[in-house]
Amino acid sequence: MTNRKLLLKLVSASLVAIAGMPSFAQSAIEIGATVPLTGPAALSGTQYHNSLRLAEERINKAGGINGKPIRFVFEDAQSINPTALNAFMKIVQEKKPTFVFLSSYSTQNMAVAPEVLKARVPVMYAGGADALQALKNPYMFRIRPADSTAAVAMAQFVKGTLKATKPGIIYIQNDFGQGAAKAATKTLADAGIAVVASEAYGGNDKDMSAQLLSLKNKGADAIIALSFPQDGALLLRQIKTMGLKQPIVASSGVFLPSAMQLMSAADLENVWGVIDVMLETNLNATSFVKEYKERFRVDADAYAAVYYDGAMILADGLRKVGPDPEKLRDYVARVKNYQGVAGTFSFDDAGNGIHEVTIVNFKKGTKDMVFVSKVVATP
Amino acid sequence: MQDLVQLLVSGVALGSVYALAALGFVTIYSATGIVNFAAGQFVMFGAMFGVTTVLQLGLPMPMAILLAVAMMGVFGFLFYLGVHLPLRTQSPVTVVIATVMIGLSMQNGANLIWGSVPFRLPSPFGDGTLTVFDSAISTHALASIGITAVLVAALYVLMQHSSLGRVMRAVAQDFPTARLMGLPVGLLLACSWAIAAVLAGFAGLLIAPMWFADAHMGDAIALKAFAATIIGGFGSVPGAIAGGLFVGLAEILGASYISSAYKDLLCFGAMVVFLVARPQGIFGEPISERG
Repeated sequence: MTNRKLLLKLVSASLVAIAGMPSFAQSAIEIGATVPLTGPAALSGTQYHNSLRLAEERINKAGGINGKPIRFVFEDAQSINPTALNAFMKIVQEKKPTFVFLSSYSTQNMAVAPEVLKARVPVMYAGGADALQALKNPYMFRIRPADSTAAVAMAQFVKGTLKATKPGIIYIQNDFGQGAAKAATKTLADAGIAVVASEAYGGNDKDMSAQLLSLKNKGADAIIALSFPQDGALLLRQIKTMGLKQPIVASSGVFLPSAMQLMSAADLENVWGVIDVMLETNLNATSFVKEYKERFRVDADAYAAVYYDGAMILADGLRKVGPDPEKLRDYVARVKNYQGVAGTFSFDDAGNGIHEVTIVNFKKGTKDMVFVSKVVATP
Repeated sequence: MQDLVQLLVSGVALGSVYALAALGFVTIYSATGIVNFAAGQFVMFGAMFGVTTVLQLGLPMPMAILLAVAMMGVFGFLFYLGVHLPLRTQSPVTVVIATVMIGLSMQNGANLIWGSVPFRLPSPFGDGTLTVFDSAISTHALASIGITAVLVAALYVLMQHSSLGRVMRAVAQDFPTARLMGLPVGLLLACSWAIAAVLAGFAGLLIAPMWFADAHMGDAIALKAFAATIIGGFGSVPGAIAGGLFVGLAEILGASYISSAYKDLLCFGAMVVFLVARPQGIFGEPISERG
């Protein structure tokens, strides 16, 4: 009996304490963020978890939003759609935020999109699939280049610079890979080049030798590789192990720091990359990169950069039009030529904010990235 | 022709790793009757222990491998003490759920300890390739096949021709009688767990240089090891090896000659066919009551 009473007292005491807590936070403007904090997706999620916190500190240090502090409320979106959806619903129902940051995974963004429309809250997301802009959801704003922008740039590079006439494509079997493969194939077809082979592999696959052999046997003279970070690193390594000598144009995932540390200089020989932004050469990014590294002990990647920019754009909007979801939505939709850490942001009718990618390759014998060119897509 | 050689070697190398993981699984099932759903995470732990000894502690390779294997043995022993022993009187379903839970804890624990960034574990056999019949075969793949063969042979010798193996088999065949005859059954069961953990550890150390080591690698391996066990015959050691090789070859050859997008369907489809047509697998005995 005494144990029971003690337990009851403890429970009511903690309930009172918890109920009392929100009063501290009431004065801050709360912005939601559904970020993968655990699971395989946390590899990227941690990057923008960090940069959003950095943005919060910087905004508040500079006086907040007209005197009021801003606070990011994080919910763990984990790595699958149901958890991302739950995370979004929880934030929307509990905090009723004026703005939410979604994760960088197209498949999660697609799952959450209907609820975004229902909740009428503007969101920024970093998933690249074209299916997302086809939704024509007026509340969704993409802060990374769309996959098709990157795929088109890859295809143009293969034709224009590499002068390949029989390119082959190897892609990861998901929304990103399939969408990008389709976009690349179409761009090449429009330029009169037929793709000789298009092979897919599963996201958890560890052996792509069968697919690579198929590309070799069909006579591909250049390889377009559309992958996520970890499988991309495996893919590049296996290409070299199998003795394939064709030039490779790879999508941005494999050049993130988490994947780069898995590869050796030999794996990157004859590899060209189409990435979101090369932070090392972007002058606007210098202080961000330095502060991020000092604070979090790891290198910031493109994802960290775009979410940081998104937060800064949001802060500008909050200062100018206040914490009203509809007014914020209209503000973001009208942002043009914002010079951020990750590039120039101009939101178009489909909600796409960035229209440029960077082509890089690597100094022979090293893993040092070398800037080749910036490709700006015609909007 | 050269394609076939390359694909066969890849398939057998992959199959060997699946076979080792399945062996860990089967060793436990034969000795204790427990279906260990954390088997895939055991393999992952083997790889991560290797990451600690090779990369983080920077020990010389032979010592690092031995230390990682020893750590796995200790882990198996602790697993017996912490999971099997308290649950030995519970119903099988309880134990299964417990192993599922432990598996999840191991995965998330690994995520906390080693982080979510994958590691590149260097192969003790180097990154080189041999040219056989005009195709490039990695030395690591060949070594994996060799090491698996050695481990299977060692397991066979241990179980069939050593006194330890004899008493372990006695405990597996008839637990109450073995106890009545005065055998130290607790210690012998702990040995089974340690051996299973060591086999899984080798699987992890062999697969990590091929696949990269991270906290989430266990799931894919667990599914394939499970399929291998079912195809080869639940509870049968030759079955685990045959099943593992079958799954590895089906994955690689199927991807090349049939369809790369549907290759997993081939392997799991085969598993379903076996479950329907021949549930005891290739080498298994027809289902009977376990004592």
